[in-house]
Amino acid sequence: MSRNLVELVRRTHARGAPTALEVLKRALEDHGEITDDDRREAARLSGLPEAAVYGVSTFYDDLRFPRGARHVRVCTGTACFAATGDAHVRELRDGFGLELGERTEDRSRSLSETVCLGFCHSSPAVRDGDVIDAGEGVVERVLAGAAQAAPEPEWRSMLERPVLTEPSDWSGLRAALASRSPESLLEEVQAARVRGRGGAGFPAGEKWSFARAAPGEQKFIVANGDEGDPGSYIDKYLMERNPALVLEGMTLAGYAVGADHGFVLTRSEYPLSKPALEAAADRARTQGLLGEDVAGSGFAFDVTILEGTGSYVVGEETALIACIEGLRGTVSARPPYPAARGLYGMPTVVHNVETLANIPFIARAGAAAYGQLSPGATSGSKLVCFNERFARPGVYEVSFGGTVRELCDEVAGGIAGGGQLKALQIGGPLGGVLPASLLDTRFDFSELAAVGCMVGHGGIVGFDEQTDMRELTLHLLHFGASESCGKCFPCRIGLRRAHEMFADGRAVERARLEQLLEALEVASLCAHGSGMPAPIRSLLAHFPDELGLA
Amino acid sequence: MRVAVDGTSIELADGTTVLQALRAAGADVPTLCFDERQEPFGACRVCLVGVAGAPGPLPACTTPCREGMAIDTHDETSRRVATAIVELVLSELPVAPAPHTELARVAASLGVSEPRWRGMTHAVDHDQRHPYLAFQRELCISCGRCVRACDETQGAFALTATGRGFDANVTAGLDAGFRDSSCVSCGACADTCPTDAITENTLLEL
Repeated sequence: MSRNLVELVRRTHARGAPTALEVLKRALEDHGEITDDDRREAARLSGLPEAAVYGVSTFYDDLRFPRGARHVRVCTGTACFAATGDAHVRELRDGFGLELGERTEDRSRSLSETVCLGFCHSSPAVRDGDVIDAGEGVVERVLAGAAQAAPEPEWRSMLERPVLTEPSDWSGLRAALASRSPESLLEEVQAARVRGRGGAGFPAGEKWSFARAAPGEQKFIVANGDEGDPGSYIDKYLMERNPALVLEGMTLAGYAVGADHGFVLTRSEYPLSKPALEAAADRARTQGLLGEDVAGSGFAFDVTILEGTGSYVVGEETALIACIEGLRGTVSARPPYPAARGLYGMPTVVHNVETLANIPFIARAGAAAYGQLSPGATSGSKLVCFNERFARPGVYEVSFGGTVRELCDEVAGGIAGGGQLKALQIGGPLGGVLPASLLDTRFDFSELAAVGCMVGHGGIVGFDEQTDMRELTLHLLHFGASESCGKCFPCRIGLRRAHEMFADGRAVERARLEQLLEALEVASLCAHGSGMPAPIRSLLAHFPDELGLA
Repeated sequence: MRVAVDGTSIELADGTTVLQALRAAGADVPTLCFDERQEPFGACRVCLVGVAGAPGPLPACTTPCREGMAIDTHDETSRRVATAIVELVLSELPVAPAPHTELARVAASLGVSEPRWRGMTHAVDHDQRHPYLAFQRELCISCGRCVRACDETQGAFALTATGRGFDANVTAGLDAGFRDSSCVSCGACADTCPTDAITENTLLEL
């Protein structure tokens, strides 16, 4: 990212002015589209050059399509695809007589796609204005103008001692501030061997020690709540049902690293997340757990909650930082790593919200107790969630090391209605596809990697016998190409070409496809381009006869 | 700090990138988004090299050298993938790049002619309203060099990347042409453009 633009936005931030992205978002909410006057106003208020504001206004999904008085967003996430094969999208398009991204001439109505609304437990899902409806009959209700709020997902811990599903009482923070130095807390987190829960699995303690050692006038903690894996609603659960746990984890990270401020970036697809986190932050301030003197310890830490604008790649840490700064959410080459030069050029620790939610337990109970949560496997516990093809979809806290079969059958009750499970995609759109024949694979980082899959962020999307695997390939590549940030050449062009190979309906030349997948894997700048080949490779390996190959 | 480039050991200052190291050693790899007057960008991924012990090819422009690093500019995977990327770039243009352009020269150096993948190309869209600068949007490969020239060299901030994914491109100001932007007609963008998407009208043409 341009050092000059980052310096400009740092100055804007220092004087409390809004970012260009915030101004543009407000304009869209006010009058349904972005005009040049809005862009000039955003440039004036944020201090960004007009051209840079134009670039921002053409990057984010939420800003790119005009909205009518009634704005309907249809979920095109993978769980909704597994439920209907995208029939719900076609029915809404036909019913409204609008293509995705279109608005009626009289501006009364608009339709767009959104990935994903986090109602995977009750797919398909549609957002009509502020109401998210989901499940059977949703299309008819929305077309009749009678959308009703769908029930939120259930959650449950399979552990005797819940870590991530226990409401925060801030006792981890109180214990750390009362009895530990920042160095000692950092050592405990390193000893606990917490691996990042956002997908990459990077050791959290390492990030902390880099950021702690990095020189900087100010340091920041950033909670990534805009991870956005279609088929996962884990972050939605944490931010909306257990927001204080995320804030407690951030405060602990701030104490250990020497940061005095944290930012949470929530998803615009989850409209309840930002208000829930803000309410939790307000309660914490009232109780003296955030602010100038946290729990009477002299340590100062506070948080700002921001909402994203519709971009999957913003889940990548450098793009996430650019989004918080109000810039285009494109990926930057590392180094420099955010721990050295992150938000506003300052040392920054970026963690997925679930990673941060692990920290209060470690602060309270110690690394040894944390290690015992999953004996003989990766330390700690993991949230997983299941789509509506399962009998008991929901968010579950589980140990690492059990088999995928145990998760699917014993935890989620198997496929609903006695149907047959054909395959699973675990851990988001960059996760490999696990065929039913490999369900005895253990749920852990190295075991899943050995079969071309990953823990990822823990979303588990089951496909039953109805799923057409060529259509699934097309679905995944559509997502990949439309979410590419456009920075690196292999991802920008290669995902488009891969999608085109399947979209034209003709036989796909396997050798040429594999040469393209190699370029994506080897050369892409971030995990989006290098990860998209994984599910395609597993579909090639396990379902070659269904892909229409030449 | 000592590193080896294709088996030849050289002494380098701290903070040297792999690309600087191999150019210092008299070796080279092709690049598209790199301009030595600008900060490395890491977008084109054509400068991939092999590094002993690394899990796979690394981009030379954004990878810092480390003591004892062994760099291989002939690494087979790196050259194979770089070739595929240049084919992809050619496949997005509606016409072949002019022979004198950097893109055409890089393609020739890798022996690329016909891309293995074809599909949608960028729509032809010319902006010739400015007296000195002409923009042929369909030739833009989103290397970011013009945007960085305008930002880092000139400080005019008249240019930006636009869109995302395959639709990414560049524009001036609020997309109303160079003339209605903060462009100061310095020509730094045209000077660095590797495809002639932005060119300077010569005096003879005026």
